[in-house]
Amino acid sequence: MDIWFFIITMALFAGVFIFLGYLGYRKTKTAEDYFVAGRTMGAVLIAFSYGATFISAVALIGFSGIASVYGHSILWLAFLNVFVGIFIAFVFYGLRTRKMGLSLKAMTLPELLGNRFNSVKLQQVSGLIIGVFMVAYTSAVFLAIASLFQVTFGIPYWICVVVFTLIVGVYIIFGGLYAVMYTHAVQAIVMLVGMIILTVGIYAMLGGIGPAHEAAAALTPEMLQSIGSPAATQAPNGLTSMPPFLSMPFMMILTLIFGVGIGVLAQPQLITRYLTAKDDKALRRAVPYGGIFILLMTFTAFSIGPLCNVLMYQNNIMYPVKETAGAMVANPDAVVPTIINQLFPSWFILIFLFAILAAAMSTAAALFHTAGAAIGRDVYEKSSKKQVSPEKSIFITRIATFVIVIATLIITLNPLDVVAYMTAFFFGLMACTFLAPYTLMLYWKKTNRFGVWVGMLGGFIFTMAWYILIYFKTAPKIIGAPLIGDYVINMLDPIFIGLPLSFLLTILFSILRKQDKEEETLMKKSFENI
Amino acid sequence: MMNLILGMDMGVFIAWIGTLLATVLCIVYGLYYQFIKKSEKKQQPESSKEKKKKQEEEL
Repeated sequence: MDIWFFIITMALFAGVFIFLGYLGYRKTKTAEDYFVAGRTMGAVLIAFSYGATFISAVALIGFSGIASVYGHSILWLAFLNVFVGIFIAFVFYGLRTRKMGLSLKAMTLPELLGNRFNSVKLQQVSGLIIGVFMVAYTSAVFLAIASLFQVTFGIPYWICVVVFTLIVGVYIIFGGLYAVMYTHAVQAIVMLVGMIILTVGIYAMLGGIGPAHEAAAALTPEMLQSIGSPAATQAPNGLTSMPPFLSMPFMMILTLIFGVGIGVLAQPQLITRYLTAKDDKALRRAVPYGGIFILLMTFTAFSIGPLCNVLMYQNNIMYPVKETAGAMVANPDAVVPTIINQLFPSWFILIFLFAILAAAMSTAAALFHTAGAAIGRDVYEKSSKKQVSPEKSIFITRIATFVIVIATLIITLNPLDVVAYMTAFFFGLMACTFLAPYTLMLYWKKTNRFGVWVGMLGGFIFTMAWYILIYFKTAPKIIGAPLIGDYVINMLDPIFIGLPLSFLLTILFSILRKQDKEEETLMKKSFENI
Repeated sequence: MMNLILGMDMGVFIAWIGTLLATVLCIVYGLYYQFIKKSEKKQQPESSKEKKKKQEEEL
């Protein structure tokens, strides 16, 4: 592809986002505008923004690649993405979060916790956890997309990182959440176009849904071996069948689908979307748009992954590899790009790259905004004893976001191994830390500050310890080898233990100590409209 | 030979059809609140002060 054509299109793409950032800047007059888009958003914008934030480039390319290794059993994650990630999230969390956020005048998750339990420290500590880990997660998002562009276009990695980070940084710092949500609408459309064409194209090449799946089921381990596909050993019952119960591939699927599938409920960047709704109806009407969007993203991405093996076998394409520690190993992340480069027309390569870029930018923008608000509003602003004016609050958050953008840039330019694993453990960490206090805050009137502190920190400490000492992906990088050698244990996502533990601690310590008068008043206030 | 539905075994097929049904559930939920359940009790939460004020005005 002509590199100049790419550069011009990229400049136009960036120009649109900067313009939308400018529109957001003009609309931003109050702190409420900057943090929750003035609480004026309608159903379509909420759904697209939620979906574009949720689905990153890693979800599209990385999980398609994982599906090419483990087969269609990963479709359970698509089910959880739609059912839990949209239906349960909006109906059982979104509506109450919006109402409680209005009653307590909260604009971020830490502020909601802090205002509900009358604790500035709680707001600051949760803001700090979100801010610090979000920088690493955002860095992982940029790392993935910059690597893809480096491989596809031969543009140096550092140029990709600097350009992508600065474009997102500029429109987010000035335009606030208005800019994020406007750009998300455009990015979501680009993502939809890219994924629909890709999915229809692959199924059409293989003769439709039934024949495509039957062709995948007919691939024997020997056939998969002949193209170098790791599915030969990792999908022992075939690409369209569940792996044997408690086998290593089964544990891999289990940890992925629950870590991400349940973890979605406690993502601060997604919770912000509920707070932007203009009314309950907007949130309720966002449910079908969100459901369809996620279906067209994850269901399609996870469906085509295994089918790439069929296309590679039929067209004599070898499974992509990469060099790791001097050895050539299978590279699932390159499976979909390889298929597109080999079997799709060149005009589609450009569309697909922009779809992936849109997915990465939209997630990164939401993360920058949430991390900036966490550090600026929840941590720094709350440490000031004086009342801060709305203008100053926005200014502080803009500065905090700028610092986060620069920190992300530095980390992405000098990535540590552990950064690449952030995408795997960010969802689990947020879920184990915040899901129990957040759920109980919404549903159980007896939840108190003490219980929330213990539940939140208990979940956080347990999860960090699990990732450092036991989890099969992270422990070898940090301490050399997991403390527990049994794969059934060390492949478990911490959410399986950390989440029940966090719920238990929150409930137990809420029962042990009663709410004080102020807490009781705030509890009544927060529930008065629910 | 295992029984396959649309080329998938039962475990995978349940996930496949379950995803589609979950999306249908989302659509039905949205349609219900758009066209059938017309009015909702309250669009905006009110504080107790506002409620009191309204009651006073009505009186």
